[in-house]
Amino acid sequence: MTFSDETLVAYLEGTLDEAQSRAIEAAVETDTALEHRLMVLDPFAPLVHDVFEKLPAEAPSVEMPDPVMPAARGSGLRLVAVAASAAIAAIAVTFWATRPADLGWAQQAAIYQSLYVPETIASLDSSTKSLDKQFEMAEAELGRSLNRETLESLPGLELKRAQVLSFKGKPLIQVVFADEQGQPFAFCVIRQGPDAPPAEIKQAVLSGLATATWAQDGYGYMLLGNSPQTDLQNELDVLTRTFAG
Amino acid sequence: MKTKHTQVAIYSMNAEMTSEQAVRDAVQTHSKRVWRFALALSGASDVADDLLQATCLRALERHHQVTSHNRLDSWLMTICRSIWLNEVRSRSVRRAQALSVTPEADLVASGPDTETNIFATEVFTQVMQLPEAQRETVMLVFVEGYSYREAAALLEVPIGTIMSRLSNARQKLKAVLQPDAAHTARRSGK
Repeated sequence: MTFSDETLVAYLEGTLDEAQSRAIEAAVETDTALEHRLMVLDPFAPLVHDVFEKLPAEAPSVEMPDPVMPAARGSGLRLVAVAASAAIAAIAVTFWATRPADLGWAQQAAIYQSLYVPETIASLDSSTKSLDKQFEMAEAELGRSLNRETLESLPGLELKRAQVLSFKGKPLIQVVFADEQGQPFAFCVIRQGPDAPPAEIKQAVLSGLATATWAQDGYGYMLLGNSPQTDLQNELDVLTRTFAG
Repeated sequence: MKTKHTQVAIYSMNAEMTSEQAVRDAVQTHSKRVWRFALALSGASDVADDLLQATCLRALERHHQVTSHNRLDSWLMTICRSIWLNEVRSRSVRRAQALSVTPEADLVASGPDTETNIFATEVFTQVMQLPEAQRETVMLVFVEGYSYREAAALLEVPIGTIMSRLSNARQKLKAVLQPDAAHTARRSGK
């Protein structure tokens, strides 16, 4: 069936009778030329288009992890070799920030962590061998111990992975756990440098996750639960003791 | 510091980098479209910011799913919508309801011409007050230029549903958007 432009415009303006409207809609299912004509003739499309096309006024900033391995101080080649052989090159991720001073490391870490679901950690290789390599890399980047024994013995949490990230050139380590329900839980440490001021424990909900942050002796620390309600207190007690300088 | 050589080594050792690079490029190219779609879904620009960010990170995590580098825009839209429906919407419902009363019309009222701003504000407000299903469809078809069948595939509904959503949306937009009415609105500043 063919439809005149007038009929199509009447359809688009909502003034065509019901039977003809249904006929057009049925015909579109198999007729791409008719579909194209309707789109071209639609008087509403350009008006809406012109208003929304201007949004957002500036290209939105998207902060993507960098594909490049973060600098391995003093042992770059060895770490690259380890990464390649273990096929974990892709997990060494660097955040670069395009928004000046917009989001701090804790906010960024929370955004990243908020994407974790049980499936994310269920598939991680948490063998002793993998964890050995991960902690070796992480501690080398960070320049301090991550007290792995403590992390492995946190009640109700199973250690899944230590991942090297970076925030504005500072090494940021994300240690991921699974809780008893298989939900993700994370502990992050960032090396902020010797001049960074210490900070008291501060609890907040960031990106929908309960978090606690504190800073001491040039390092920043962060705990992240998996919902706004996660109770972090037990872990917080242990970790603030363990990472006290 | 990192050397160029190291980068090259990693790229050549990891064949997945090709699809990863395609995803990175797509994110750069389509960030505005994804943000607009996120705005249409959520009704709030700050939620749209977060949705875009989450979409891009999720896309990067899933770059190995990319088999063709064509139409990564609709793949990004699909991811964005999935994150919205599964992870963000329930948290944002109360806020979305509050915001639907006062859409952020100042987003579009930034031109030098007052009458144009008033008209743009009116259009923006009407679109943002459409029900979510109509809003997302209007955004994909009217603004982003997806065909009815492309929008149907993206939203996982029959093409007839796309057409009826658009018809319903047109009815509601008619008052302000019909060429005559639009002209009047421009003139009267209504």
